[in-house]
Amino acid sequence: MTPNDADAFTMNIIHNALLSASEEMFTVTARTAKSPIIYDVLDFSTALTDPEGNVTAQAVAVPVFVGVLDFTVKGILAKYGRAGLRPGDVIILNDPYLSGTHLNDVAVVMPLFWGDTLVGFGASKGHWNDIGGITFGSWGPGRTEIYQEGLQIPPCKLFSEGKENIDILEIIKSNSRIPEMCIGDLEAQVAGLRVAARRVEKLIAKYGLATYFATVEHIHRTGEEIARRRLQELPKGRFRAEDFLDEGGEGETPLPVHVEVEITDDEFKVDFRGNASQLPFSLNNTYPGTVAAVRVVYMALIDPHARYNQGLTAPLKVIADEGSIFHAVRPAAVSVYWEVLTYAADLVWKALAPHAPDRLTAGHFLSVVGLIVAGVHDQTREGFALVEPNPGGWGAGPDKDGESGLVSFADGETFASSVEVIETRYPIVVERYAFNPEAGVGDGKHRGGFGIIKDYRIVNSRAELTTDINRAVVPPWSMEGGGVGTLNHIVISGAGKAPLRVRKISAHRLERGDVVSIRTGAGGGWGAPLERDPARVVEDVRAELMTRERAREVYGVVLPPGRFEVDIAATAALRASCAL
Amino acid sequence: MAVRGAIDIGGGFVDLVAVDEQTSEMVWSKARTTPDDLSRCVQDVFDLSHVNAAAVSQLLHGQTLVINTILERSGAKVGLITTKGFRDILALQRGNRRDIFNLRYRKPEPFVPRHLRREVDERTLADGTLERPVDAKSLRDAYRALLEENVEGIAISFLNSYTNPANEACARELIRGFSREMEFQRVPFICISSDLSREWREYERTNTCVLNAYVMPLVDRYLRKLTSEFRRLGMQGTLYMMLSGGGVATFDYAAKFPIETVESGPVAGVVGALAVAEWVGARNIIAMDGGSTTTKASLVHDLEMKFTTQYAVERDEYRPGYPIKVPVVDINEIGIGGGSIAWLDDLGTLKVGPLNAAADPGPACYGLGGTRPTLTDAYLQAGFLNPAYFLGGALRVHPDLAQRALSSLADHFQISLDEAALAVLRIANDNAAQLLRLISVQRGYDPRDFTLVAYGGSGPMIAPFIAEELEIPRIVIPAVPPGNFSAWGLLMSDLRHTLVQTLVRRIDVRDSASLLNAHYGVLEESVRGLYREEGIAQPVELERTADFRYSGQEHTITVPVIPGTFGEKEVGELISTFNDHHQREYGFCLESPAELVNLRVTGVVRMGKPTPKAPLPTPGAPASPIGERPVYWGDQGRQATPIYRREQLAPRARLSGPLIIEEPTTTIVVPAAFMAVVDELGNLIVERK
Repeated sequence: MTPNDADAFTMNIIHNALLSASEEMFTVTARTAKSPIIYDVLDFSTALTDPEGNVTAQAVAVPVFVGVLDFTVKGILAKYGRAGLRPGDVIILNDPYLSGTHLNDVAVVMPLFWGDTLVGFGASKGHWNDIGGITFGSWGPGRTEIYQEGLQIPPCKLFSEGKENIDILEIIKSNSRIPEMCIGDLEAQVAGLRVAARRVEKLIAKYGLATYFATVEHIHRTGEEIARRRLQELPKGRFRAEDFLDEGGEGETPLPVHVEVEITDDEFKVDFRGNASQLPFSLNNTYPGTVAAVRVVYMALIDPHARYNQGLTAPLKVIADEGSIFHAVRPAAVSVYWEVLTYAADLVWKALAPHAPDRLTAGHFLSVVGLIVAGVHDQTREGFALVEPNPGGWGAGPDKDGESGLVSFADGETFASSVEVIETRYPIVVERYAFNPEAGVGDGKHRGGFGIIKDYRIVNSRAELTTDINRAVVPPWSMEGGGVGTLNHIVISGAGKAPLRVRKISAHRLERGDVVSIRTGAGGGWGAPLERDPARVVEDVRAELMTRERAREVYGVVLPPGRFEVDIAATAALRASCAL
Repeated sequence: MAVRGAIDIGGGFVDLVAVDEQTSEMVWSKARTTPDDLSRCVQDVFDLSHVNAAAVSQLLHGQTLVINTILERSGAKVGLITTKGFRDILALQRGNRRDIFNLRYRKPEPFVPRHLRREVDERTLADGTLERPVDAKSLRDAYRALLEENVEGIAISFLNSYTNPANEACARELIRGFSREMEFQRVPFICISSDLSREWREYERTNTCVLNAYVMPLVDRYLRKLTSEFRRLGMQGTLYMMLSGGGVATFDYAAKFPIETVESGPVAGVVGALAVAEWVGARNIIAMDGGSTTTKASLVHDLEMKFTTQYAVERDEYRPGYPIKVPVVDINEIGIGGGSIAWLDDLGTLKVGPLNAAADPGPACYGLGGTRPTLTDAYLQAGFLNPAYFLGGALRVHPDLAQRALSSLADHFQISLDEAALAVLRIANDNAAQLLRLISVQRGYDPRDFTLVAYGGSGPMIAPFIAEELEIPRIVIPAVPPGNFSAWGLLMSDLRHTLVQTLVRRIDVRDSASLLNAHYGVLEESVRGLYREEGIAQPVELERTADFRYSGQEHTITVPVIPGTFGEKEVGELISTFNDHHQREYGFCLESPAELVNLRVTGVVRMGKPTPKAPLPTPGAPASPIGERPVYWGDQGRQATPIYRREQLAPRARLSGPLIIEEPTTTIVVPAAFMAVVDELGNLIVERK
């Protein structure tokens, strides 16, 4: 065995150890965090990088985080330089223009040393429930500048050579409405980083620094090789897509957005140039967020099961105009950045779906449908805040119906809160949590999946609601002659009040007995409804997901009265007449 | 003469192990399973063992019927009745997309389709208040609709029933009344979620109840049939079934709550390993079962088995699976076993598993058509396995075919066949070591404080490599042959019931004592009640634990709770126990108040367990090798290595590695850094020199 070959197997073993280290960082953080958005929604990520900030191994449950940790570490290097970092340092930051997403997502980074040599970084970025700003939870519509969105933390040293900088903690504590939670989450993130440091030290002690560095380089090189190889299998050419964001156009009309994707033998170029300038709303997305969104669709195309590392993204190039909604600059408001981020991904998806039917389905409900119900509990006199994303309907594909009640692409291993947990923690009674067939579905040979209806009855003297969602005006797109999906929206009702249909609202006052009904949309259909297998149509009617009338009118399927079967003759006749 | 017996009926084989309660003599036998007629294989296995069925005082049973019924989707047609507004809970699940970069994800298909999910007007609030009683009319309509659909089982799962089960119990009573007045011949099996779990989270509890109803009709028929077969053989003794929580319960109990037996097979192995540990004086063990397709591992600290809170059928890296909220011993597994295929990914990186050739066509060396190299082929090539002694010589293998299979790897890397074999071993062993690291290091346990109990066909072979990697100082290879180890584990089990109650409360020294006293009192009485219902009169040992977290956290950790009455002092001690555990597991404590989430009581009825005596050579008899062969240990090239036969090793034999010990269904590898010692019971103890 030559030394090089021997190294290949050792490197394989070290690679596995690094992956498991990033996962252990993740587990430790999740299990000790104090915000449900971290421990339940898993809205955070942990990674190990090389000394330049390229991600070597990452644990992720919310896929969009694959875009932001490299930017975060590189931002720190830009500020301090290698020489400015010492063993025992821990850096904290939440600057969205530098590290992506919004102020709630606080990054904590630890340079890792072997003796005096910088060997890499442990990095962690997670959503804190409140970082100050004009309303509880920090994010929401109605902001025009970042200064209204909470405490801004440029990269600074939380620990300097092992010594904690208490002043920074004090600043955080006096800016957040829930300081204890924030400090708990910070502890959890630091605990995760300490795991990284221990594991990397052990590996280097066992295998030596040279082998360690050779492995890291090998991981990035093979990642790039995988990507280049898979790129060969993708369709080549220029692919365009356009769509509309619910708001931002002239006179409160929808705002046109577009992309051009160019795939060549060695490049996957995504061009957002020419899109609208950043808006005086909360939903601008900074450049790292746009890159993150594109990386998710890119990974789905390249290899959804490849273990993420920076090498995989080598052929990817993302271009956007500085100062546009896809590359917002200071002082753009960004607290609901994800509603533009999702469009960056959806546009690339829409451009490529017809060319990669084995990887991409029709459009889904897209929005995170995030909401905050907050207030002070009448009994305990303590503050409460339910912060959650919601599941919805996904698009159909050439061989499947869309999935029903599944979180948006921007979320992943993200759990919708349990009804019983909600009712225990918050003064809310959940009246209903079910599929939402009311507004129909994206019809088709394969139909879209259904969204959900969830009704929250407030059982507290007062509370407030904040939300900001899209695809409430412009529905999810369909493919191959299928029908478009349905809209996301929220309806607020109460005794003696006219029901109020909203898509965005900030700190709206709720009273005892008011009901907040969350309704998420259905996904887009694939293919002509008249080609749908009549037996599947009958199944939907029997399941009370579709009416007999709709089966007849849209799908040309006739059921004998009172029975759940296909009237074969009548169906054939009706379909024949429809086809004319 | 009275005999305690254990019978394990798997898909391929039925195993019997029996111990004479007076003499401690142990016998075992194995027969092929006859799935179409169980009575035949039961008869066969008893005949082969020469155990007189009439002399069996207790028979313990393990099966794979429940898990296979779920995996093969061969259970009953089931209906679900839920609280109005929540029929879709089973299909909504938790909305998560576990395979996060796959944009064509598929959710698990629910076990009850929407038209068989019916709603009833009723409501219990989170604090246990009954807001609305069960509306009899809507229940009657739901029940009739399900009967018209010919369901065989009905699951009833209402919101917040974990805190107050009254409405679920009421619905069951009402349905019993309807059954009497309705014209339908067949009455379906009914189960209510609060009987199975008193933990919060409606989807998980509902799914548990649905899967119980799904397997219930089949298990009921199976147990009736088996009982009549045992009685026909003249058996008078009590019949017990292994539960996933590490204990056994009567057949009557198992018929009502069959889902509690879902992992009974692997769990029996852990129980067996625990019994071995007690004999060798170990309190901390990692039980490792090396099979042909997977390697399973479970950590036991201070003789206490760990339980998982995340058990789900069909859960893996990319699929969330179907959660089951009953006590399940925490066993983790990885797709590495003797049949794992070694392959190159498209970048030429060597991988082992989870692709597997175990069942079909088998490792290349079996000559049954397999051409891809497996872990078994690698062990054979490197000289660890004896080609003339597979299944004690009953299975002929072909080293040349193993060579041919490995040559593709050797060619690719331009290395020798031995080096290729060693590379496969290293990758596979590293994967298995990761599994053990996951359950030990990642949860705050230092492997250096543990004994590795290795069983299964490949367990004893890979154990020393893993022990080296994780610095585990001692390995024990049990005296019982791997093929009978599960049945033997059954024999070592006690009666065990665990009840959990979710009760989310902040704990403070002044107010919490009465709360703890009241709820532990109720739980302990309920556990005793379960035994009374089973007709068991022996004393019940009660163990308490509780799940705690810091207020504001979600995940909990389980801490032991002292017996007896709580006062302020005891509550204070409980809080500091929690702080200590949190410190050990995560390296820090918080100043936030401690919050209780679940109370748990386990009631154990100890069964008389004779120390089994395997047939062994006279203690102290000298051990001599049957020969030697060149084995490729790595760096130094092939080395002549002495070979021993397990059955010739007498108690007190001491052997210094490197050496290999063969037995018909496994091979024990003892590297140069280790010693092997045979104890009085025939267990082999492999320790660092």
